[in-house]
Amino acid sequence: MTTTASSPRVLAPADANEVAATLRACANDGAAIVAQGGGTLQSIGNAPTRCDVMLSLERVRGFAEYDPRDLTAGIFAGTPLAEVARTLREFGQQLPFDAPLAARATIGGTIAAGWAGPRRGRYGRPRDLLIGTTVALADGTLAHAGGMVVKNVTGYDMSKAYAGSLGTLAIIVRANVKAVPRPAALRLAVAPIPPDVSDRAIAGIGTLAIEPSAALAIDGFTQAAPLAHATRRLVVFFEGSEALVERATRELRSVLGAAGVAETQLADGDAADRIFAGVIDAYVDANDRSLTYRSTGLPSTAWARAQAATALGAPFGLAGETIADLRTGDVIVRASARRAARFAEVVAGYDATVRRTIERTTVLAGAPALRAAIDAWGAVPSTIDAMRRLKTHFDPANVLAPGRYVGGI
Amino acid sequence: MVASLSQRLTDALGPDVAFTAPEDLAAYAYDAYAQERLPAAAVVPRDAREAALAVRIAAECGEPVVPRGAGSGLCGGAIPARGGVVLSMVRMNRVLELDVRNRRARVQPGLINADLSHAIMQHGVFYAPDPSSQKISTIGGNVGTNAGGPHCLSYGTTTNHVLGVEFIDGAGVIHRTSLDDPGYDLTGLLVGSEGTLGVVTAVDVRLLALPESVRVCVAAFGDVDAASEAVSAIIGAGIVPTALELMDRTITRAVEAHYHAGFPVDAGAVLLIEIAGAHDDSAASEAALRRIASAHGALSWRSATEPAERDALWQARKGAAGALGRIAPNYYIQDACVPRTKLPAVMREIDRIAARHELIVGNVFHAGDGNLHPLLLYDRRDERTVRAVVDAGTEILATCIDMGGTISGEHGIGYEKREQLSLIFDAHDLAAMERVRDVFDPRRLFNPDKIFPTGATCGEVRAAPSAA
Repeated sequence: MTTTASSPRVLAPADANEVAATLRACANDGAAIVAQGGGTLQSIGNAPTRCDVMLSLERVRGFAEYDPRDLTAGIFAGTPLAEVARTLREFGQQLPFDAPLAARATIGGTIAAGWAGPRRGRYGRPRDLLIGTTVALADGTLAHAGGMVVKNVTGYDMSKAYAGSLGTLAIIVRANVKAVPRPAALRLAVAPIPPDVSDRAIAGIGTLAIEPSAALAIDGFTQAAPLAHATRRLVVFFEGSEALVERATRELRSVLGAAGVAETQLADGDAADRIFAGVIDAYVDANDRSLTYRSTGLPSTAWARAQAATALGAPFGLAGETIADLRTGDVIVRASARRAARFAEVVAGYDATVRRTIERTTVLAGAPALRAAIDAWGAVPSTIDAMRRLKTHFDPANVLAPGRYVGGI
Repeated sequence: MVASLSQRLTDALGPDVAFTAPEDLAAYAYDAYAQERLPAAAVVPRDAREAALAVRIAAECGEPVVPRGAGSGLCGGAIPARGGVVLSMVRMNRVLELDVRNRRARVQPGLINADLSHAIMQHGVFYAPDPSSQKISTIGGNVGTNAGGPHCLSYGTTTNHVLGVEFIDGAGVIHRTSLDDPGYDLTGLLVGSEGTLGVVTAVDVRLLALPESVRVCVAAFGDVDAASEAVSAIIGAGIVPTALELMDRTITRAVEAHYHAGFPVDAGAVLLIEIAGAHDDSAASEAALRRIASAHGALSWRSATEPAERDALWQARKGAAGALGRIAPNYYIQDACVPRTKLPAVMREIDRIAARHELIVGNVFHAGDGNLHPLLLYDRRDERTVRAVVDAGTEILATCIDMGGTISGEHGIGYEKREQLSLIFDAHDLAAMERVRDVFDPRRLFNPDKIFPTGATCGEVRAAPSAA
């Protein structure tokens, strides 16, 4: 095991057994542990109230099992998603997690963070593609769940508990996943939507006979799927056969044309992938003057929530940028101030207004100082008591990322 | 003197909801598994409030609660193994809300699976999980076993289609979960928990748009081996049809005698392949599949595009187990799942096991998922065949485990396989599951004696091959 001197201590165990041993040692010392993959989603949740050990999974990496003919893979948690993608791509397969900063983001970290990207309407969330896990528990034991088969009702589906638990129940050391065939054709359409026709254009997306893999209405975030002279644009991702993608493009152009949208720019294959990845990266693109929320809800209300969110910032002197996911219902809201100090003055009031106005908002990214001033989770779900008990049963000494989770878990 | 459980339930819920007479209780003593036991009472609630009241009373009496859907489970999951109250959800069978625009519905647990899709078809949407029992099994029961079905190959199983649930906990309190809420994925834990964590009283399901084009193809092969190789090759080529089912000759002959759907009865095995999607792709998809089938020795290929013809094929496929009554008085259906590349090898081994025990085996299963269902034919009155079936079943499971598979793909563990769970999971793995159970049901009143090996807490658990 290697140790890097700093505060907190950073430990980078080499394999699953060493991760378990580290947890055992920490349990004996009562040391609090925060697990880290690529560190790309550490902004999710509250800052842990204690962090004695930062447990890096960077050395627990690589493929444990992968027979492409099975369309499944067993992958160690610290493997970057870009590396996963490269390996799967050689065999015409993919793992459509749509996580930001895929060069650094790890498979384990993405699953643990409960990340759910825009293409989940088509492929499911990471938890839906997860068929098995190995985790290190707080007491230093390793536990397995699921397996390497695509259908499995063998005891509780424990992987569901670990996915999205942000390292507060256990630390994922290996994930078994279903791989997905990469379609023959990928096409990203980007169209400007003038404000006066936005509503019609967005309503049109809901009528498409060929469902896009993703459909996003972006306001601001000009680095993502950039389009000259347009801050408001539609990003529509089609995947399938060449013939299907062609038909989908014709249909999209016709629907948008009828709504008064003149031009639609297209990118295919790797270029489509690259632009789409840039859009995903924007979800967590933050600076010391910004705070980014995610609101979950019905797809039919996404655009309205995004519009409402933009308006909320104005009285506080905050500029709003939004991404409305027309397929999954997610809305990403980034509020920015001109000066960091200015945002710090109004953050509490702005946060209260956002929570009051828009359903189910959680903090996704932002300046640490701003995040520290508010609770990342907002209203606690009605099942919070069961969640607290789950935490207590898995981590009785409260050493796994204490305070990071919902309701102070 | 403290009133009895039966008396308290009757007092609280009335004789139309709570049943206590032995002749009434007989209907709740069994499911589709081989054992039975009378409960002390059966409650058939009309709403979640009545169900919660029953749970509260049972908890106060320290008596078990066994949730029950249609009772079509094959592993004894609905048998009241320790008596107590059977909570039958069949009266709660309505679609509560339908939101076509957002592709979701809230339904009651007693709704029959097929009734849901029938009710919403006119709106251009459907509910994907379609177990062969779908004409009788309920959504609540499907949630309990994380039910599968032929179309799970491309659409995923029940857990991939449940967005949230309303459930009653061990104290009789009603809660609601949602994948949209922050926090632990309680929804994902409840699905597939076989009634051991709570009673589900409503389910938020995800709906899909009906495909534009559907083709159902039948490919005939000389033997199971060739058909299995073709399945492995199809998946290996990265083609995932909506369904990819294998039926051997024992099955096609029984099915044809009953349904006359047009399966070739001379073939050693047939593949039933469904291709659903856009018009633009269907011809090319079929051609690609047909090429692979031919390369693996397909003797014939037939394509059904008309709804009536497709429905006839599916009806026959889903009625296959029942049609076996023509060949033998009884059958025992096994459920296991293996990695898809292991399919040809495991099918050969099943053949050898059946031969060794002098049993006739029929195979009809979700080949594309690697989800096996060997049906071992026997006669309950013939002790030799009963013993042979039990032994062969155990050997088949052992074979699947050896090949990296698991002991249930979609039927669940229930009462039947609980001792075998420790062939898959070691003491640490099982202890993690027990922690979850402690959260929901610390007194172990929900469906006791299911899923978990009886020796799990006594250090008798055997270690399984490690996955890490």
